[in-house]
Amino acid sequence: MANSVVKIDNIVKRYGELLALDHFSLDIKEGEVFGLLGPNGSGKTTTINCLLSLLAYDKGDIEIFGKKMTPVSYDIKKKIGIIMQNVAVFDELTVYENIDYFCGLYINDKKLRKQYVEDAINFVGLGDFRKFYPKKLSGGLLRRLNIACGIAHKPKLIILDEPTVAVDPQSRNKILEGIESLNRDGATIIYTSHYMEEVEQLCTRIAIMDKGKKIAEGSKDELKRMIKNTETVTVEVLGLTQSMLDELSALPHVYDVKYDGQKAVISCSGGKHNLIRILDTLQKKEVSFGRVYSELPTLNDVFLEITGKALRDKED
Amino acid sequence: MQIFKLFMKVLRKKIFTALIFVIVFVAISIPMAKNSTTEKAFKDTRLKITVFDDDNTPESRALTDMIYSKHKRVDIERDKEAMTEALYFEVTNYVLVINKGYSEKLAAGETDGLLTSYHIHEWFSVVLTDQLLDSYISSVNAYTAAGCDLSEAVEKAGEAVADETEVNYTSFNKQSDFGRSAGGYFSYLPYILISVVISALCPVLITLNKKEVRFRTNCSSIRPSSYTMQVFAGSAVFVSAVWLFIMVIGTVFIKGSIYSGTEWLAVLNSLIFMLVATAMAMLICSFTPTENVLNIITQVLSLGMSFTCGIFVPQSMLGAGVLSFARFLPAFWYVKANDMLCGKEAFDSSKLAGYLLIEFGFAVVMILITLLIHKLRYNSAKPAVRSRSSELRAQN
Repeated sequence: MANSVVKIDNIVKRYGELLALDHFSLDIKEGEVFGLLGPNGSGKTTTINCLLSLLAYDKGDIEIFGKKMTPVSYDIKKKIGIIMQNVAVFDELTVYENIDYFCGLYINDKKLRKQYVEDAINFVGLGDFRKFYPKKLSGGLLRRLNIACGIAHKPKLIILDEPTVAVDPQSRNKILEGIESLNRDGATIIYTSHYMEEVEQLCTRIAIMDKGKKIAEGSKDELKRMIKNTETVTVEVLGLTQSMLDELSALPHVYDVKYDGQKAVISCSGGKHNLIRILDTLQKKEVSFGRVYSELPTLNDVFLEITGKALRDKED
Repeated sequence: MQIFKLFMKVLRKKIFTALIFVIVFVAISIPMAKNSTTEKAFKDTRLKITVFDDDNTPESRALTDMIYSKHKRVDIERDKEAMTEALYFEVTNYVLVINKGYSEKLAAGETDGLLTSYHIHEWFSVVLTDQLLDSYISSVNAYTAAGCDLSEAVEKAGEAVADETEVNYTSFNKQSDFGRSAGGYFSYLPYILISVVISALCPVLITLNKKEVRFRTNCSSIRPSSYTMQVFAGSAVFVSAVWLFIMVIGTVFIKGSIYSGTEWLAVLNSLIFMLVATAMAMLICSFTPTENVLNIITQVLSLGMSFTCGIFVPQSMLGAGVLSFARFLPAFWYVKANDMLCGKEAFDSSKLAGYLLIEFGFAVVMILITLLIHKLRYNSAKPAVRSRSSELRAQN
């Protein structure tokens, strides 16, 4: 079994009366891409700040690489890379100088640093822009620079906090490929995002947070199995009568039918061949229908069902 | 030394405004300081003067010659309109008409109706010319009353007023070798020190403390004490370089030799004021102003202090109200110390030490206020910072 890279044990963090983290625990293993999901205000950033010892907590323990993490654990900090949502670079330095500066906060050896900086530039594909100042870079390139600054020192643990916000699709793909590549090279990743498809694509394990608590944890499939919905069938159909709707509701494994006059959304829980049964029923009643979709539950469905709200329904 | 190098790189990008200040200062202050009045440079004021001699006698011609020997002769048309224009446009400063019958009246000991004068401004040189003429006429009358004939009296009166008065500046500081030109140069320093330090140092500190990059730095393995020391070292190198440059310029262009004697006290005074300017910059940075606001602050502080504390206008010419206000500004005490070193005030080492200590006190107070602001911000800002600092304290 892989070693624990991050072990958060029962931490409690209060901001005055507000309970920001409520007996929160996590165990992230070496080589994992761990997704931390939750709406704004759920405690993700507080967790990361506690993890980095930028914030003291009232109760509990945090261990990183098997050692207790404290504000003066510089040997641990050396192995951590941070990529935050807001681009944190100096407008006064070129691409190369920025990466060199942030790498230099960890690596003193000049030769080694030079090599690392070159590796980081090549990794994010900024080779042609090394002498550019950040203001001359597009939003996507700027994000890549932000990532390069966070990973140039080749950290073993990389924390990415919404790194793809406001990034064009091409740059987003490049970033996601980069994260996968970093993981293949041995880095453990903690990834927070509002984009479910990214989390689904990247993360091997996911924790869902709400109101400072961990409300679910597991792989994508494990999480999806936790909810009632296993399949949603949508049928474009006109003129369905109430008796038809009742008949559809009575089908095995169907637990909910919604109809707006143009399409019927039928939610199923477990079972096989749900789609065939639904279409058979419609054909027997000689109801003509248009397009038909069958969708498996997404993380958003999981999140919606577990927390009772959509992931992006609330902004700070 | 990553942070120190970063400081210098950012400074290179932000130093342009400061360089302009320095260049303009050097370009203006050196000629001004060099042209400032010295003991050797004293000269009598010479007016542009026009004399119309309606009497045309040997006595009136003697008066004309005496006047032209002391002032610059300007010939204009004898016409009321032309005279008015010439006076208005300052072609001439003073028109004197020696009235018909001047000699006769002078011989009779009369003083009224001898001369008629025209001038626009009642400025000091006009008053002095009136006094000269009065003195001349009085002398002639005195000599004639003493028994001299008129021509002899005119000759002796002319000799009497021809005597040049020897002028010596009184300096309270007899042993001072602190020249007026060097004193003038040093008196302008607060303006340039404030302008340069705030306009260059503040943008660098604000850039380094930008929230996002500071967060990334805090997450790194660099120790906070090392970070602070490197920023401090960068600031110290910059302000020291500015101060040294200004001192060297003063030595080379104003003095022409190494500072000596009391000049070293002026150097010390400027060094303390540099500390004041640095503390001021740090205090301003703690409010993280935008570039535009920073420019306004720089101008308000540098020009405001310059006009109210005696940098651009001597303290002796400032009103009591202004001076009372200026006492609460560090530049006031800098100028007081500099004036004493220039000899404008009697040299008193204990008083001078007091002025320097008050200046230094301003620097200390500003640093303490800066620290207090940081502390208050720590307490009121995101708990992340507060908690981290408390944990650090606990660990120490």
